[in-house]
Amino acid sequence: TVRPKNEVEQKQLCAFGEYVAEILPKYIQQVQVTCYNELELLIHPDGIIPVLTFLRDHTNAQFKSLADLTAVDVPSRQYRFEIVYNLLSLRFNSRIRVKTYTDELTPIDSAVSVHKAANWYEREVWDMYGVFFANHPDLRRILTDYGFEGHPFRKDFPLSGYVEV
Amino acid sequence: QTTGLKRLAVAENPHERLRILYTKILGVLENIPKEAAYRKYTEQIVNERFDLVKKETDVQKLQDKLNSGQIEEVIVQAENELSLARKMIQWKPWEPLVEEPPSDQWRWPI
Repeated sequence: TVRPKNEVEQKQLCAFGEYVAEILPKYIQQVQVTCYNELELLIHPDGIIPVLTFLRDHTNAQFKSLADLTAVDVPSRQYRFEIVYNLLSLRFNSRIRVKTYTDELTPIDSAVSVHKAANWYEREVWDMYGVFFANHPDLRRILTDYGFEGHPFRKDFPLSGYVEV
Repeated sequence: QTTGLKRLAVAENPHERLRILYTKILGVLENIPKEAAYRKYTEQIVNERFDLVKKETDVQKLQDKLNSGQIEEVIVQAENELSLARKMIQWKPWEPLVEEPPSDQWRWPI
């Protein structure tokens, strides 16, 4: 069986993507809609806080809920980490994905000032990948052991780690 | 008399409050250049809602016409829009792109 294509939703998401891209041309580099009707905004890292506050506060885009904050490691790129924010709008019942990039040493602005939920998610991304978040209230390890060295989710970290248990 | 939502008190005189908020938003939007898309669309939204608020005096009918939840939620949304407009003046998002990404950054599959 094949998932049925929902053309109406696809068109609505495309229209909304163009709307947002028209309002924020300074930070949005690309907008794409996947075939499964998921809207993605690809952002320059300077523009995280403006874009997230816009999506939270604007009347046509009340994405009040931060559902997820993760990172993806692609070691072959110049900026190897891709930070992904998943937002949910309760008023309009729709989701949106915001993606940024950074390398190992450049800090990213913390989203805690926009969404309180980002606190532990950013601690997890710091612990697992090593992405530093500027202006985070309390950035420390959250999942690894107390004296653990290294960032486990990176692609160059071996599966069984460096220390024998 | 209750909104049914936690931490949202019932607003007495919501028309007055909305009137003040919408005039403040329009005043803040004057500081943005006229060609900016943000100014166009926000002015459109605010003017539509403002006209509905001016014409309709009954609270229940106004809620139905706006079709955006309770009046208190509409007030909260207008306050959010006001703070967003003030921040937009500092960020200036209508300027052209800050920096192009490296050519392989958004290519998927790699």
